[in-house]
Amino acid sequence: MDFLLHPSFWPQQIVNGLLIGGVYVLVALGFSIVWGILNIVNLAHGAFIMLGAFITFFIWDATNLDPFLVLPIAAAILFVIGYATQAGIINFVVRAPLLVTLLLTFGIEIFVTNLALYKWKADIRSVSPSYAGQSIELGSTIIPITKLGALGLACAITGLLALFMTRTKIGASIRAMGMDLTAARLMGVNIPRTYALTFGLGAALAAAAGTLISATQPFDPSIGSSYTIRAFVICVLGGLGSIPAVLVGGLLFGLIETIGSVVLGAGYKDAITFLVLVLLLVFRPNGLMGKEYYR
Amino acid sequence: MMASPPTPTTTDTRRDAPPLLEVRGLNVAYGDVQVLWDVDLVIYPGETVALVGSNGAGKSTLLNALSGLMNPLSGSIRVNGADLTHQPSRRFVHAGICHVPQGRRLFVGMTVRENLMMGAFSRTDGAAAIRQDFAQVLALFPRVEERLNQLAGKLSGGEQQMVAIGRGLMARPHLLMIDELSLGLSPIMVDTIFDVIKTVQAQGRTMLIVEQDIQAALEQASRGYVLDTGHITHGGASADLLASDAIRTAYLGI
Repeated sequence: MDFLLHPSFWPQQIVNGLLIGGVYVLVALGFSIVWGILNIVNLAHGAFIMLGAFITFFIWDATNLDPFLVLPIAAAILFVIGYATQAGIINFVVRAPLLVTLLLTFGIEIFVTNLALYKWKADIRSVSPSYAGQSIELGSTIIPITKLGALGLACAITGLLALFMTRTKIGASIRAMGMDLTAARLMGVNIPRTYALTFGLGAALAAAAGTLISATQPFDPSIGSSYTIRAFVICVLGGLGSIPAVLVGGLLFGLIETIGSVVLGAGYKDAITFLVLVLLLVFRPNGLMGKEYYR
Repeated sequence: MMASPPTPTTTDTRRDAPPLLEVRGLNVAYGDVQVLWDVDLVIYPGETVALVGSNGAGKSTLLNALSGLMNPLSGSIRVNGADLTHQPSRRFVHAGICHVPQGRRLFVGMTVRENLMMGAFSRTDGAAAIRQDFAQVLALFPRVEERLNQLAGKLSGGEQQMVAIGRGLMARPHLLMIDELSLGLSPIMVDTIFDVIKTVQAQGRTMLIVEQDIQAALEQASRGYVLDTGHITHGGASADLLASDAIRTAYLGI
């Protein structure tokens, strides 16, 4: 364990943790909104992330467009898919017990993942723009450019989302609906449409996360569920109910996972995820900054 | 049973105008349990109408039906002549019906300012008109102005009721329906709220007020309806209702 004492070890691990944490923020953001506002634990969220990664891959492969520029296209496509899924399927059971939506989104996850496996096979793919190998060196700390870009984009999207939710009329109606459905009705909010908008927004954010994942690490059709679990843990870690909570939860989870898997060994990566979940549920079930309502 | 159409009163300045709200033969049920039976109710522009009755008489259910929160079994609801029966709530909002619900139901995680602005959510008459109403609401409730940037959930019950009424006024509704106007408020706060209702009334706003304090409600309103176990049993000018022996013994205990 001598490497733990090496002067360059901790700065590098913290940088690595924050870089992957930025992606995790985006992984969990849509999941948190759908859970906090619609009270749907969307088990298909990871499948949407996977779709986002593949859409980015195919567009990049065909046009050589920079993957970061593909992000809005992937997000728009997934927004439409998410909107249609909510409006066409989930809206029928939206006031049913949590278990029903859990089962339904689990079914969607299985369907989408296996369709992707069937169409695209289990091959591992990656998106590597021309600058993929470049990195910035700060002393002995190495910062890969694509991962830095991903972190920057994740923060920017998080900020934009926070502005959208607090400064726009649609954002306000989404939050209002999450706080009090009846009162939102009495304000004239179109509930089925706003539900679908919210779910579409969650899927679009999943696609954005998928783009960042595709540009920073290899992926295949089965990556979805591992990201759904991470999104779940991050929401529990940060606490449900606000965008800053996801930011804190995502970055913290990136640090825990990175440092934990270096110290304990990479084989324990998933074990660390669940350990965090168990510890939180025992000691701080509302998360670090949980709120009663989505703000 | 009450005779309809209701008697116009001296304060009913626009009795010649067509009714703003016209409810005919309304039957409403929660599942198998019918709560409202053949309810007829008419409200003319400019008047304040009180809806009174004991607990569980169906007052809130009627308001829920009149704002599209509940779907009636049968009967009709017309607003300014347009049939809104079986329409979702947003159509009622667009038609100018605003329901300030029981328990206030503020958006507790939003600031007072955001709550008031949500009241104007369905308006299409532009930012300038909304700003003007915002200023009017704050003039009506100076205490709300001091709390604009606080979370609505942190306010006292009376302040929450002020915000709830303010949020209702922000819709600039043709008809403002307020459920349980004074429930759970301190006597001083009740006076404040009733003063505000007087001011709003003087501004020409049409109102339907549900209130436990039957005496106060009827003194405030020009007309009233009495709801008893789902039936409208009395209706007419407030003065007549207050003078009626049946109502005095049943509800006022005198």
